[in-house]
Amino acid sequence: MSQIQPELEDILRTLFDEYEGPITGALTAAEVEQWDSLANVQLVVLAERTFGVRFSTAEIAGLANLGALADLIRAKQG
Amino acid sequence: MSQALDDREIAPGAGPALKRLIAAQLAAFPEHEGFLRRRFAAGADDFCESLATTIETIAGEDLARLCEDYRWLAGAVLEEELFFRREGRYRLSSFAEAEALVYADPAYMTRYMNGLLLSQLWWSNHTAVLAWFRDRYLPGNGTQARHLEIGPGHGLFLLLAEQDGRTESCVGWDISPASLALVEKTFAALRRPAPSLLLSNLFEAQLGRFDSIAFSEVLEHLEAPAEALARVHDLLAPGGRAFINAPVNSPAPDHITLFETPEAIVDLVLAAGLEIEDVLLAPAAGASLDRARKLKLAISTVVIARRPL
Ligand SMILES: C[S@@+](CC[C@H](N)C(=O)[O-])C[C@H]1O[C@@H](n2cnc3c(N)ncnc32)[C@H](O)[C@@H]1O
Repeated sequence: MSQIQPELEDILRTLFDEYEGPITGALTAAEVEQWDSLANVQLVVLAERTFGVRFSTAEIAGLANLGALADLIRAKQG
Repeated sequence: MSQALDDREIAPGAGPALKRLIAAQLAAFPEHEGFLRRRFAAGADDFCESLATTIETIAGEDLARLCEDYRWLAGAVLEEELFFRREGRYRLSSFAEAEALVYADPAYMTRYMNGLLLSQLWWSNHTAVLAWFRDRYLPGNGTQARHLEIGPGHGLFLLLAEQDGRTESCVGWDISPASLALVEKTFAALRRPAPSLLLSNLFEAQLGRFDSIAFSEVLEHLEAPAEALARVHDLLAPGGRAFINAPVNSPAPDHITLFETPEAIVDLVLAAGLEIEDVLLAPAAGASLDRARKLKLAISTVVIARRPL
Protein backbone atom coordinates (compact mmCIF):
# COMPACT_ATOMS: atom_id res chain seq x y z
CA MET A 1 0.00 0.00 0.00
CA SER A 2 3.11 2.23 -0.12
CA GLN A 3 2.26 5.79 -1.34
CA ILE A 4 -1.43 5.16 -1.41
CA GLN A 5 -1.56 4.22 2.27
CA PRO A 6 -0.89 7.66 3.85
CA GLU A 7 -3.54 9.38 1.74
CA LEU A 8 -6.09 6.64 2.41
CA GLU A 9 -5.28 6.92 6.08
CA ASP A 10 -6.02 10.67 5.97
CA ILE A 11 -9.38 9.99 4.36
CA LEU A 12 -10.24 7.35 6.94
CA ARG A 13 -9.24 9.51 9.89
CA THR A 14 -11.44 12.34 8.56
CA LEU A 15 -14.45 10.14 7.93
CA PHE A 16 -14.16 7.93 10.98
CA ASP A 17 -13.08 10.36 13.67
CA GLU A 18 -14.19 8.07 16.52
CA TYR A 19 -11.86 5.25 15.45
CA GLU A 20 -8.53 5.33 17.21
CA GLY A 21 -7.08 1.93 16.27
CA PRO A 22 -4.37 1.21 13.74
CA ILE A 23 -5.06 1.59 10.03
CA THR A 24 -3.64 -1.35 8.08
CA GLY A 25 -4.51 -3.12 4.87
CA ALA A 26 -6.39 -5.72 6.90
CA LEU A 27 -8.85 -3.17 8.31
CA THR A 28 -12.51 -3.95 7.53
CA ALA A 29 -15.71 -1.97 7.93
CA ALA A 30 -16.80 -4.33 10.71
CA GLU A 31 -13.99 -3.01 12.92
CA VAL A 32 -14.94 0.65 12.53
CA GLU A 33 -18.30 1.62 13.99
CA GLN A 34 -18.83 4.67 11.78
CA TRP A 35 -18.00 2.72 8.60
CA ASP A 36 -21.54 1.92 7.48
CA SER A 37 -22.68 1.55 3.89
CA LEU A 38 -23.33 5.27 3.36
CA ALA A 39 -19.94 6.18 4.81
CA ASN A 40 -18.43 3.53 2.54
CA VAL A 41 -19.78 5.44 -0.46
CA GLN A 42 -18.21 8.63 0.89
CA LEU A 43 -14.92 6.83 1.39
CA VAL A 44 -14.90 5.36 -2.09
CA VAL A 45 -15.76 8.66 -3.78
CA LEU A 46 -13.11 10.54 -1.79
CA ALA A 47 -10.63 7.87 -2.88
CA GLU A 48 -11.76 8.27 -6.50
CA ARG A 49 -11.13 12.02 -6.31
CA THR A 50 -7.85 11.78 -4.50
CA PHE A 51 -6.36 9.17 -6.82
CA GLY A 52 -8.10 10.14 -10.07
CA VAL A 53 -9.73 6.73 -10.60
CA ARG A 54 -13.26 5.43 -10.99
CA PHE A 55 -14.70 2.23 -9.54
CA SER A 56 -17.61 0.17 -10.85
CA THR A 57 -20.47 -0.71 -8.55
CA ALA A 58 -19.37 -4.36 -8.57
CA GLU A 59 -15.85 -3.37 -7.56
CA ILE A 60 -17.18 -1.28 -4.68
CA ALA A 61 -19.44 -4.09 -3.48
CA GLY A 62 -16.62 -6.63 -3.67
CA LEU A 63 -14.06 -4.76 -1.55
CA ALA A 64 -13.00 -6.98 1.34
CA ASN A 65 -10.80 -4.59 3.28
CA LEU A 66 -8.73 -1.43 3.03
CA GLY A 67 -5.85 -3.28 1.39
CA ALA A 68 -8.17 -4.43 -1.39
CA LEU A 69 -9.13 -0.81 -2.00
CA ALA A 70 -5.46 0.19 -2.17
CA ASP A 71 -4.72 -2.69 -4.57
CA LEU A 72 -7.58 -1.66 -6.82
CA ILE A 73 -6.40 1.94 -6.88
CA ARG A 74 -2.88 0.81 -7.75
CA ALA A 75 -4.18 -1.46 -10.53
CA LYS A 76 -6.26 1.37 -11.99
CA GLN A 77 -3.43 3.85 -11.85
CA GLY A 78 -1.41 1.34 -13.90
CA MET B 1 -26.98 -15.01 11.53
CA SER B 2 -29.90 -13.19 13.12
CA GLN B 3 -30.83 -16.12 15.40
CA ALA B 4 -27.62 -15.62 17.32
CA LEU B 5 -28.46 -11.99 18.03
CA ASP B 6 -29.41 -10.60 21.38
CA ASP B 7 -31.90 -7.78 20.78
CA ARG B 8 -31.27 -6.21 24.16
CA GLU B 9 -27.72 -5.62 23.19
CA ILE B 10 -28.75 -3.89 20.01
CA ALA B 11 -31.19 -1.54 21.71
CA PRO B 12 -30.67 -1.30 25.46
CA GLY B 13 -33.96 -0.54 27.17
CA ALA B 14 -36.04 -1.62 24.17
CA GLY B 15 -39.62 -2.60 24.87
CA PRO B 16 -41.28 -5.72 23.39
CA ALA B 17 -42.58 -4.08 20.20
CA LEU B 18 -39.20 -2.57 19.33
CA LYS B 19 -37.50 -5.90 20.00
CA ARG B 20 -39.89 -7.69 17.66
CA LEU B 21 -39.39 -5.06 14.98
CA ILE B 22 -35.61 -5.26 15.23
CA ALA B 23 -35.78 -9.06 14.95
CA ALA B 24 -38.03 -8.82 11.88
CA GLN B 25 -35.78 -6.22 10.27
CA LEU B 26 -32.62 -8.23 10.85
CA ALA B 27 -34.26 -11.37 9.49
CA ALA B 28 -34.80 -9.46 6.23
CA PHE B 29 -31.57 -7.46 6.35
CA PRO B 30 -28.91 -9.09 8.54
CA GLU B 31 -26.21 -6.77 7.18
CA HIS B 32 -27.98 -3.92 8.94
CA GLU B 33 -27.04 -5.16 12.39
CA GLY B 34 -24.08 -2.82 12.85
CA PHE B 35 -26.16 0.18 11.75
CA LEU B 36 -29.01 -0.64 14.15
CA ARG B 37 -26.62 -1.34 16.98
CA ARG B 38 -25.14 2.11 16.53
CA ARG B 39 -28.58 3.67 16.07
CA PHE B 40 -29.70 2.42 19.48
CA ALA B 41 -26.36 2.50 21.29
CA ALA B 42 -27.57 5.26 23.60
CA GLY B 43 -30.70 3.25 24.41
CA ALA B 44 -34.28 3.29 23.22
CA ASP B 45 -36.78 5.65 24.84
CA ASP B 46 -40.56 5.50 25.30
CA PHE B 47 -41.15 7.30 22.02
CA CYS B 48 -39.31 4.51 20.16
CA GLU B 49 -41.51 1.90 21.80
CA SER B 50 -44.72 3.76 21.01
CA LEU B 51 -43.54 4.27 17.43
CA ALA B 52 -42.63 0.58 17.14
CA THR B 53 -46.09 -0.38 18.43
CA THR B 54 -47.75 1.90 15.87
CA ILE B 55 -45.63 0.64 12.99
CA GLU B 56 -46.26 -2.96 14.01
CA THR B 57 -50.00 -2.31 14.06
CA ILE B 58 -49.90 -0.65 10.63
CA ALA B 59 -47.80 -3.48 9.20
CA GLY B 60 -50.00 -6.26 10.59
CA GLU B 61 -49.42 -9.46 8.63
CA ASP B 62 -47.18 -7.62 6.18
CA LEU B 63 -44.31 -6.88 8.56
CA ALA B 64 -41.83 -9.14 6.77
CA ARG B 65 -42.62 -7.50 3.44
CA LEU B 66 -42.28 -4.02 4.92
CA CYS B 67 -38.86 -4.99 6.23
CA GLU B 68 -37.92 -6.15 2.72
CA ASP B 69 -39.18 -2.83 1.39
CA TYR B 70 -36.95 -1.00 3.86
CA ARG B 71 -34.00 -3.04 2.69
CA TRP B 72 -34.82 -2.11 -0.89
CA LEU B 73 -35.07 1.58 0.06
CA ALA B 74 -31.68 1.47 1.78
CA GLY B 75 -30.19 0.06 -1.45
CA ALA B 76 -31.91 2.68 -3.60
CA VAL B 77 -30.65 5.48 -1.36
CA LEU B 78 -27.13 4.05 -1.53
CA GLU B 79 -27.17 4.22 -5.33
CA GLU B 80 -28.31 7.83 -5.20
CA GLU B 81 -25.62 8.58 -2.61
CA LEU B 82 -22.95 7.34 -5.01
CA PHE B 83 -24.26 9.59 -7.78
CA PHE B 84 -24.60 12.54 -5.40
CA ARG B 85 -21.09 12.23 -3.95
CA ARG B 86 -19.57 11.97 -7.42
CA GLU B 87 -21.58 14.66 -9.17
CA GLY B 88 -22.46 17.06 -6.35
CA ARG B 89 -26.11 17.10 -7.41
CA TYR B 90 -29.24 14.94 -7.30
CA ARG B 91 -29.80 12.68 -10.29
CA LEU B 92 -33.26 13.95 -11.26
CA SER B 93 -33.96 17.59 -11.95
CA SER B 94 -37.57 17.68 -13.11
CA PHE B 95 -40.78 16.98 -11.25
CA ALA B 96 -42.19 15.24 -14.34
CA GLU B 97 -39.38 12.64 -14.19
CA ALA B 98 -39.99 11.99 -10.49
CA GLU B 99 -43.71 11.74 -11.03
CA ALA B 100 -43.35 9.23 -13.86
CA LEU B 101 -40.71 7.15 -12.06
CA VAL B 102 -42.13 7.23 -8.55
CA TYR B 103 -45.48 8.87 -7.68
CA ALA B 104 -47.41 7.46 -10.65
CA ASP B 105 -46.13 3.90 -10.18
CA PRO B 106 -48.17 2.32 -7.37
CA ALA B 107 -45.87 -0.68 -6.88
CA TYR B 108 -42.75 1.49 -6.66
CA MET B 109 -44.44 4.08 -4.48
CA THR B 110 -45.86 1.53 -2.04
CA ARG B 111 -42.47 -0.09 -1.59
CA TYR B 112 -40.90 3.32 -1.12
CA MET B 113 -43.42 4.52 1.47
CA ASN B 114 -43.29 1.20 3.35
CA GLY B 115 -39.52 1.59 3.56
CA LEU B 116 -39.91 5.19 4.65
CA LEU B 117 -42.33 4.09 7.36
CA LEU B 118 -39.65 1.89 8.94
CA SER B 119 -37.03 4.60 8.47
CA GLN B 120 -39.02 6.67 10.98
CA LEU B 121 -37.64 4.30 13.59
CA TRP B 122 -34.33 3.18 12.11
CA TRP B 123 -33.01 6.61 11.11
CA SER B 124 -32.41 8.67 14.21
CA ASN B 125 -32.98 11.97 12.43
CA HIS B 126 -36.40 10.79 11.24
CA THR B 127 -37.32 9.70 14.76
CA ALA B 128 -36.16 13.04 16.18
CA VAL B 129 -38.30 14.95 13.65
CA LEU B 130 -41.38 12.86 14.35
CA ALA B 131 -40.95 13.23 18.13
CA TRP B 132 -40.54 16.98 17.71
CA PHE B 133 -43.73 17.08 15.65
CA ARG B 134 -45.66 15.38 18.43
CA ASP B 135 -44.05 17.01 21.45
CA ARG B 136 -43.03 20.46 20.26
CA TYR B 137 -45.18 21.37 17.24
CA LEU B 138 -48.65 19.96 17.92
CA PRO B 139 -48.93 21.31 21.50
CA GLY B 140 -48.46 24.83 20.06
CA ASN B 141 -51.65 24.53 18.00
CA GLY B 142 -54.79 26.09 19.41
CA THR B 143 -57.79 23.91 20.14
CA GLN B 144 -60.07 23.05 17.22
CA ALA B 145 -57.19 23.24 14.79
CA ARG B 146 -57.97 22.59 11.14
CA HIS B 147 -54.96 20.55 10.09
CA LEU B 148 -53.68 19.83 6.57
CA GLU B 149 -50.79 17.63 5.55
CA ILE B 150 -49.34 18.09 2.09
CA GLY B 151 -47.70 14.83 0.97
CA PRO B 152 -48.59 12.54 3.91
CA GLY B 153 -46.97 9.51 2.19
CA HIS B 154 -47.14 6.66 4.75
CA GLY B 155 -49.50 8.69 6.95
CA LEU B 156 -47.60 8.65 10.25
CA PHE B 157 -47.46 12.43 10.72
CA LEU B 158 -51.13 12.78 9.84
CA LEU B 159 -51.97 10.04 12.33
CA LEU B 160 -50.12 11.83 15.14
CA ALA B 161 -51.94 15.05 14.26
CA GLU B 162 -55.29 13.26 14.32
CA GLN B 163 -54.49 11.65 17.68
CA ASP B 164 -53.69 15.04 19.20
CA GLY B 165 -56.65 16.36 21.16
CA ARG B 166 -56.32 19.87 19.71
CA THR B 167 -56.97 18.76 16.14
CA GLU B 168 -60.53 19.33 15.00
CA SER B 169 -60.25 18.19 11.37
CA CYS B 170 -57.62 16.35 9.42
CA VAL B 171 -57.03 16.74 5.68
CA GLY B 172 -54.37 15.16 3.46
CA TRP B 173 -53.39 16.10 -0.09
CA ASP B 174 -51.07 13.90 -2.08
CA ILE B 175 -50.22 13.53 -5.74
CA SER B 176 -49.80 9.76 -5.44
CA PRO B 177 -52.80 7.38 -5.32
CA ALA B 178 -50.58 4.78 -3.61
CA SER B 179 -49.78 7.23 -0.81
CA LEU B 180 -53.44 8.00 -0.21
CA ALA B 181 -54.18 4.27 -0.04
CA LEU B 182 -51.42 3.88 2.57
CA VAL B 183 -52.77 6.77 4.63
CA GLU B 184 -56.16 5.05 4.64
CA LYS B 185 -54.52 1.77 5.67
CA THR B 186 -52.63 3.49 8.49
CA PHE B 187 -55.77 5.09 9.94
CA ALA B 188 -57.82 1.91 9.56
CA ALA B 189 -55.15 -0.19 11.28
CA LEU B 190 -55.18 2.17 14.26
CA ARG B 191 -58.99 2.37 14.17
CA ARG B 192 -58.95 6.14 13.84
CA PRO B 193 -61.59 8.10 11.93
CA ALA B 194 -60.50 8.45 8.30
CA PRO B 195 -59.07 11.85 7.36
CA SER B 196 -60.40 13.71 4.38
CA LEU B 197 -58.07 12.88 1.49
CA LEU B 198 -57.61 14.54 -1.88
CA LEU B 199 -55.59 13.28 -4.82
CA SER B 200 -54.00 16.48 -5.98
CA ASN B 201 -50.83 18.38 -6.74
CA LEU B 202 -50.40 21.00 -4.03
CA PHE B 203 -50.26 23.68 -6.69
CA GLU B 204 -53.61 22.63 -8.13
CA ALA B 205 -55.68 21.94 -5.02
CA GLN B 206 -58.17 24.68 -4.23
CA LEU B 207 -57.08 27.16 -1.63
CA GLY B 208 -58.53 26.52 1.79
CA ARG B 209 -57.91 27.90 5.26
CA PHE B 210 -55.94 25.87 7.75
CA ASP B 211 -54.65 26.59 11.25
CA SER B 212 -51.91 23.99 10.93
CA ILE B 213 -50.02 22.56 7.94
CA ALA B 214 -47.49 19.73 7.94
CA PHE B 215 -45.16 19.83 4.96
CA SER B 216 -42.59 17.16 5.62
CA GLU B 217 -40.05 15.83 3.12
CA VAL B 218 -41.86 17.31 0.14
CA LEU B 219 -39.98 20.58 -0.53
CA GLU B 220 -36.91 18.77 -1.91
CA HIS B 221 -39.21 16.92 -4.33
CA LEU B 222 -40.29 20.11 -6.06
CA GLU B 223 -38.88 22.22 -8.89
CA ALA B 224 -40.26 25.39 -7.36
CA PRO B 225 -39.85 25.23 -3.57
CA ALA B 226 -40.27 29.00 -3.14
CA GLU B 227 -43.66 28.90 -4.85
CA ALA B 228 -44.65 25.90 -2.72
CA LEU B 229 -43.89 27.83 0.46
CA ALA B 230 -45.85 30.81 -0.84
CA ARG B 231 -48.70 28.35 -1.29
CA VAL B 232 -48.32 27.14 2.30
CA HIS B 233 -48.44 30.77 3.42
CA ASP B 234 -51.66 31.38 1.47
CA LEU B 235 -53.29 28.21 2.78
CA LEU B 236 -52.69 29.24 6.40
CA ALA B 237 -55.16 31.34 8.31
CA PRO B 238 -53.50 34.45 9.79
CA GLY B 239 -51.65 33.25 12.91
CA GLY B 240 -51.69 29.67 11.59
CA ARG B 241 -48.60 27.48 11.95
CA ALA B 242 -46.65 25.20 9.63
CA PHE B 243 -44.25 22.33 10.28
CA ILE B 244 -41.80 22.45 7.38
CA ASN B 245 -39.25 19.65 7.21
CA ALA B 246 -36.70 19.20 4.43
CA PRO B 247 -33.31 17.50 4.36
CA VAL B 248 -29.96 18.96 3.39
CA ASN B 249 -27.55 16.87 1.26
CA SER B 250 -29.85 13.87 1.21
CA PRO B 251 -30.14 12.09 -2.15
CA ALA B 252 -33.12 9.82 -2.87
CA PRO B 253 -34.69 8.52 -6.09
CA ASP B 254 -37.21 11.38 -6.29
CA HIS B 255 -35.27 14.30 -4.78
CA ILE B 256 -34.87 17.20 -7.16
CA THR B 257 -33.91 20.33 -5.26
CA LEU B 258 -30.62 20.20 -3.40
CA PHE B 259 -30.38 22.31 -0.25
CA GLU B 260 -26.73 22.49 0.75
CA THR B 261 -27.21 24.13 4.14
CA PRO B 262 -30.01 24.35 6.71
CA GLU B 263 -29.85 28.13 6.33
CA ALA B 264 -30.92 27.83 2.68
CA ILE B 265 -34.18 26.26 3.88
CA VAL B 266 -34.74 28.75 6.70
CA ASP B 267 -34.16 31.65 4.27
CA LEU B 268 -36.70 30.24 1.84
CA VAL B 269 -39.31 30.05 4.61
CA LEU B 270 -38.63 33.69 5.57
CA ALA B 271 -38.80 34.77 1.92
CA ALA B 272 -42.32 33.28 1.75
CA GLY B 273 -43.44 35.85 4.32
CA LEU B 274 -43.60 33.39 7.22
CA GLU B 275 -42.22 34.05 10.70
CA ILE B 276 -39.94 31.52 12.37
CA GLU B 277 -41.08 30.12 15.69
CA ASP B 278 -38.41 27.44 16.15
CA VAL B 279 -35.85 25.39 14.21
CA LEU B 280 -34.62 21.82 14.72
CA LEU B 281 -31.48 20.53 13.01
CA ALA B 282 -31.14 16.74 13.17
CA PRO B 283 -28.07 15.29 11.42
CA ALA B 284 -28.40 11.77 10.03
CA ALA B 285 -26.86 8.69 11.66
CA GLY B 286 -26.15 10.45 14.94
CA ALA B 287 -23.40 12.71 13.55
CA SER B 288 -22.72 15.98 15.37
CA LEU B 289 -23.89 19.11 13.61
CA ASP B 290 -20.31 20.30 13.09
CA ARG B 291 -19.32 17.04 11.51
CA ALA B 292 -22.43 16.90 9.36
CA ARG B 293 -21.70 20.39 8.04
CA LYS B 294 -18.04 19.66 7.44
CA LEU B 295 -18.62 16.38 5.59
CA LYS B 296 -21.84 17.56 3.89
CA LEU B 297 -23.88 14.82 5.51
CA ALA B 298 -27.67 14.81 5.52
CA ILE B 299 -29.33 17.09 8.09
CA SER B 300 -33.08 17.09 8.64
CA THR B 301 -34.03 20.73 8.92
CA VAL B 302 -37.36 21.52 10.50
CA VAL B 303 -38.83 24.99 10.71
CA ILE B 304 -41.93 25.75 12.72
CA ALA B 305 -43.28 28.80 10.93
CA ARG B 306 -46.22 31.09 11.47
CA ARG B 307 -48.26 33.24 9.14
CA PRO B 308 -48.23 36.75 10.63
CA LEU B 309 -51.58 37.98 11.97
C1 LIG C 1 -41.08 11.49 0.92
S1 LIG C 1 -42.84 11.45 1.07
C2 LIG C 1 -43.07 12.24 2.63
C3 LIG C 1 -43.94 11.46 3.59
C4 LIG C 1 -44.09 12.07 4.98
N1 LIG C 1 -44.67 13.39 4.92
C5 LIG C 1 -42.75 12.11 5.70
O1 LIG C 1 -42.25 13.20 5.99
O2 LIG C 1 -42.15 11.05 5.96
C6 LIG C 1 -43.33 12.67 -0.10
C7 LIG C 1 -44.82 12.66 -0.39
O3 LIG C 1 -45.16 13.87 -1.06
C8 LIG C 1 -45.98 13.57 -2.17
N2 LIG C 1 -45.81 14.67 -3.15
C9 LIG C 1 -44.71 14.92 -3.91
N3 LIG C 1 -44.91 16.01 -4.67
C10 LIG C 1 -46.17 16.46 -4.41
C11 LIG C 1 -46.96 17.54 -4.91
N4 LIG C 1 -46.48 18.38 -5.82
N5 LIG C 1 -48.21 17.71 -4.40
C12 LIG C 1 -48.70 16.85 -3.48
N6 LIG C 1 -48.00 15.81 -2.98
C13 LIG C 1 -46.76 15.61 -3.43
C14 LIG C 1 -45.50 12.21 -2.63
O4 LIG C 1 -46.47 11.54 -3.40
C15 LIG C 1 -45.23 11.52 -1.30
O5 LIG C 1 -46.38 10.89 -0.80
